[in-house]
This record gives sequence, C-alpha cells and structure tokens, in this order.
Amino acid sequence: MAAKKLRRARLSEELCERLSRYQITTCQDFLCLSLLELMKVTGQSYYDVQKLLCKVSRACAPKMQTAYEMKLRKSVNPSSAFLSTTLHSLDKVLHGGVPCGSLTEITSPPGCGKTQFCIMVSVLATLPVSMGGLDGAVIYIDTESAFSAERLIEIAGSRFPTYFDSDEKLFCMTSSVHLYRELTCGAVLNRIMSLEEEIISKKVKLIIIDSVASVVRKEFDTKLQGNLAERSNFLARGASVLKYLAEEFSIPVILTNQITTSLSNGLAIQADLVSPADDLSLSEGASGSGKRESGYVTAALGNTWSHSVNTRLILQYHDLLTRELLVAKSPVAPFSSFFYTIEKSGLVLQDGRDQTNLTREGTNPALQTIRVRNTALKDTLLDAALLSIAGETPSNTSNL
Amino acid sequence: MVLTFVEIGISKEEALEALQVVRQECHGDATRTAGGSGATRKCTALELLEEEQAQGFIITFCSALDNILGGGVQLTKITEICGAPGVGKTQLCMQLAVDVQIPECFGGVAGEAVFIDTEGSFMVDRVVEIATACVRHCQLIAEAHQEEDNLKALETFSLESILSHIYYFRCRDYVELLAQVYLLPDFLSEHSKVRLVVVDGIAFPFRHDFEDLSLRTRLLNGLAQQLIIIANDHKSAVVLTNQMTTRIGQSQSTLVPALGESWGHAATVRLIFHWDNSQRLATLYKSPSQKESTIPYHITSHGFRDVQPPAVTQNAEDTEMNPRKRPRREEEK
Repeated sequence: MAAKKLRRARLSEELCERLSRYQITTCQDFLCLSLLELMKVTGQSYYDVQKLLCKVSRACAPKMQTAYEMKLRKSVNPSSAFLSTTLHSLDKVLHGGVPCGSLTEITSPPGCGKTQFCIMVSVLATLPVSMGGLDGAVIYIDTESAFSAERLIEIAGSRFPTYFDSDEKLFCMTSSVHLYRELTCGAVLNRIMSLEEEIISKKVKLIIIDSVASVVRKEFDTKLQGNLAERSNFLARGASVLKYLAEEFSIPVILTNQITTSLSNGLAIQADLVSPADDLSLSEGASGSGKRESGYVTAALGNTWSHSVNTRLILQYHDLLTRELLVAKSPVAPFSSFFYTIEKSGLVLQDGRDQTNLTREGTNPALQTIRVRNTALKDTLLDAALLSIAGETPSNTSNL
Repeated sequence: MVLTFVEIGISKEEALEALQVVRQECHGDATRTAGGSGATRKCTALELLEEEQAQGFIITFCSALDNILGGGVQLTKITEICGAPGVGKTQLCMQLAVDVQIPECFGGVAGEAVFIDTEGSFMVDRVVEIATACVRHCQLIAEAHQEEDNLKALETFSLESILSHIYYFRCRDYVELLAQVYLLPDFLSEHSKVRLVVVDGIAFPFRHDFEDLSLRTRLLNGLAQQLIIIANDHKSAVVLTNQMTTRIGQSQSTLVPALGESWGHAATVRLIFHWDNSQRLATLYKSPSQKESTIPYHITSHGFRDVQPPAVTQNAEDTEMNPRKRPRREEEK
C-alpha cells in the first residue's frame, strides 16, 4: 500500500512528472512531506494541497468495515476463523483453537514440546475441514533442524488411525508440508518476505517458524552497544510482515521462542542478557545493588516482541511425566493452564487432573516465570525419595 | 502598528479604528477561503467552564478508573494508554467502543466509535461479549427503575446496533495510518455521531523501518496535531495506545512508554497500565485536572471491571450505572 505509485492515485500526469523530479513517486513519499514542502514541490496553494492530500490518502487508506460486518463474515465461515488443536479444553478456552489471522507464540524451555506441538499442528492443518483441519499446505521454517518427518508420520498415524489408513493418505499429507531450513536472521527474513507467492501457489493454510529465538540470539548479542535496538528492529519488521501474511490470507502463524534468565530487581525491570545455560552467579555482578537476587526464567526476545505477538502459550515442566501449558496472553482467553503429556500421538491433555488452575492469576506475559527442567526434577526427585522412604515406588518414566 | 499612528498625533482608539477598517478590506478574501479550518476559536474561560461542565464522559465500567479520571474518558481530549504487553490496553479500547454508545438516559453519550487498528488485536468475538454484558447491564437498570425513557432507549441499544456503529479500519503500516488520519475529518463529518476515535497501537507502525528519527518525530507530531483538531472540532474523545520499551540505564533497565520523550507531550491525559505480581494496576500519570493516583482493575469475561464492589458513597452519575454490580468472584465463574 505504501509503495503505491502516485500515478495510480489518480493525480494528473503533469503533477506526477513534476513530483518525480523531486524523487517523489510513491504515496509514501508524498504523505511524509510537510504541508510547506508539498506546497513547494507541487507549486499549488495551501487549500489545493489539502485536496491533493485527501486524494492520495484515499488511494492508500484502508477500507472501512463495521464490527457487525466482521461478525457476519466470521459466522458465515466459522471454521475458517481458527485451527482446532484437538486439545479440547484448550480449544474451548481459546474460543476454537489457534486463531487465524494473528501470530501465536509458543515459548518453553528446551525439551518441553514446542517442536512436538508444531509437528502435531502441521498434521492438523492438512486434515480436511470436516475433521477440524484447514485442508491446506503447511510452510515450516526450521532454524534448528529439529523437524523429524518420521515423527510427523507417527503422530498422524497414532492420532487419526482411521483417516490415515493407507500409505497414500500419509504420502499426500507429507507432501503438503513444505520444509525450509534457514540458518541466519537475514535468510529467515528473506524467506518470510517471499512467502506471499508460495502461499497462493501451494494453497498454504499454516505457517510455522521454529524457532525465531535461535537465529536471533545467535546473531544479536544484546550486551553489545546498539544490538538491542537492531534486534528489536529486526523482530518488529519480521512481525509486521508475518501479521500482514496472516491477515491477508486469514491463516494462523505459529512461532516458537526460547527462554531466558531475567536478572532483575522486581518485576518492573527486565534485562534479558543471559541465556539459560549460564549460571546465575552472574546476577550478582549485573544487578549492582549487592543483594543476591535469584534470576528467574522467562520468555526470551524482550518486551517489544511480547507486544508483537497476539497470543502467547507457555509450555513448562510440572514433574517428571507431565508438562503444563499456560495461556499467558490472549485477546479472547483468560489466563489458564492445562496439564499434558507427550505421547506417540503428540500432545495429550490430562483432563482428569485436579484443575486448580482457573483461579490462578497470570501476570505480565513478558515476565511470566517459567518452570525449567532442573527445578521440576529437583522437586520430583525429592518427592520420589520421600515416597520410597514411605514404602511406595515412584512411577517409571515414559518415553519423551 | 498602533504606535506608529500615535507618532503622527492621533489617539490610540482612533488608530485602532483606522487599523480595523484597513484589516476588513484585506480580510474579506481570507475569511471566505478560510471557512474550512474552524480550528481557531476564541472564548473566555467562563464559556470554557460551561462547556467543560456540560461535557460528557465515556465511562469505562470500572468506577475506580472513572473516578481518578474525573468521570471517565473525557471528550475533546486525547487520552493515551501505555502499558506492558497483555495488560489490557486493547481490552479497554474495545470496552470504550461499546460504552460510548450507551444511551443518554443511562448516563452515556450515545455516540458511535471509530476503531483504527494497527496491531491486529481487535477481536470481534470479544467485543460481542463486552457488548452483550453492557446491554444486559442496561436492561437490569431499566427493569429496576421502570422509566419509559430507559425502556425506549433499550429498543435501539442492541448487540446488532452496537456492532454496526463501530467503524473499523485496519492500517498495516504508518503510511496507511497517516492516510486514514488525513481522511478522518471528512469521515467524521459524514458520521457526525462519532464520539470516540481509538488508535490501537500508535507505536507499532513507527517502531521499525525508521532510520530517520527526525522524520518519525515530525510525522508523530503532525498526527498528534491532527488528532487534537479532530477531538476539538467533532467533540470526540481520542484514545491512543502506546507500547512500553526498555530503556537501558547505567546499572538497570526500566520500562518506559515508547516513541520517545517528545511524544509524551502529545496526549493530554496519560494512563499507564502495569502489573504488580498478579494484580493489574492503572496509574494516572498526566492530567490537567486530576491528581496522580493508582487503582487496581480486572478484566473479566464481561470486560473491564473494578476489583471489588464499588464504595457506597458515589456521585449521582455513577449510581445510575452501578446498582447491580456483583462481587467479582461470581462474575468470573
């Protein structure tokens, strides 16, 4: 829209000629000038310039729709408004599932199930609409080389055994998942920018980027001067292109993020400068107040990124077997949590468990504390030790 | 100018008369063509006081917030809401887009709303929830008081009419936003009942792809000026939401409103929403007439609400709206 040429805005030929001599050829150039500058370059009076501004604005301005029209459009085509995750309680809370037309982020410590979730959702997107899918292709941008085609088939076969009863169906499904391996920020951004054509030609209905954090954190070292701003810039650009794609084609976009250790003095301050593998003894130096604060783990990529995503789901450890899924940020859902395990068929919700979740209040999604594996294991090992002392045996670990 | 006349020996009053005669000749042309602007109004403070007292407020349904704002979101002023992600800025905007439409007999301004969305966080389903709760609220009041005005107003105050009077624009980048704001005065002239203009996410389109920061400052100032003119001319409230950004200090970093220091001057009233552990708080940070204070609020399935039932002592306007407020816990379940 911004790059629309002035000619197409129905300005007169001679005016366009004159403006192009000043290097003003697009609507963006025109609208960025002040009134005085416009009067100078067009050579017209104040009031005529106002009229020209209106004309050019009309060429770029978005179309108006009332909220009522939006609702009607949604109700006409309800299934196209979200992608059901087949995790029933989660879908209910999210009013249907992963919303189309906006960005959804999955954050978690390593090994919690982000990639599993992504692979599972890839299968779901290829399913026909009658089964809750989007009947379309999937673009999977993999920056960590974590995607496993075998796992894809395993999940498909276990979750929908009646549907994927023949090799042909599996083959059809796998050929609609398009995998791109990008290893640098620049490559990811270029790939995102070129997705528009792919989406149309391959009838893509889901975009997954796994993960944004790994490329960004490799290249931007926020301890260096200026890198924080550059990183925010890169992320904001990526986010706006993805939002555009999501809305233009009404498809869900899923991104995964990593975690970071926040070394802070209360919740109002945040400095995600350290990656989770580092020891927390660094916190003593960085905080500068001499007190020994315990750093806590939260989603990476900073505050600006938290603004850019529309929905944030956090996966964290609960104990040896179960994990927990938190809905940390959503425009339609309150803060909620669900327990799940990872099994052959992907993620499975533990609905029977004691749901004391709904009364728990959430906090700032950018600073929501996430339970990492070590802390979880420590608790359960202790529990297991206590149990064995009491004469009971701890349950055996299932495959992860 | 008058002094030069005095030099030639005539009195100041005579000089003034002469000047006025001369001015009338010149201004004849200018006033004809200047009909469109209407932005320069002169009035005495007394006239302004009368206007302000008659001014409507858009209530937020959170009486604590309304109180610290002096009644609610004020018309003809720009109110900026800054806050961390997920704290409830868009929720409040959606609430206001519904509340502006409340009929006058229920204490509202009976207006329509323009919603300019730059971040894509407007959810129609959520607006449906909020609007349904609002209509229900008014229905309960009408049942309790049984006045004819109320019942009549309810006939036109329905979910469908609320949704039809929210005019939604989705601006994908700052150029579309600039264009839309240029076209807004014409739109508002055609839709004269609009009393609220929301720009949800004034920061988002300006926070990337801007190497030239002075251009950004200039564009933002221009936007602010145009919005002030719109707020005044059309007697509307303008509500903007802003993001927070991390400012790296010497030994620690803090969250401050985005878009820089100069942007802080654009809004008349500034609210900052933040968290304190799991409680959401709203702080009135800048206001010409109210003092700085902080109150807690909640976001329920019905929308933006207080944390506890409101206090007994309230002014007349508020009791109209709050007689049926139940304690929060029940509302959530």
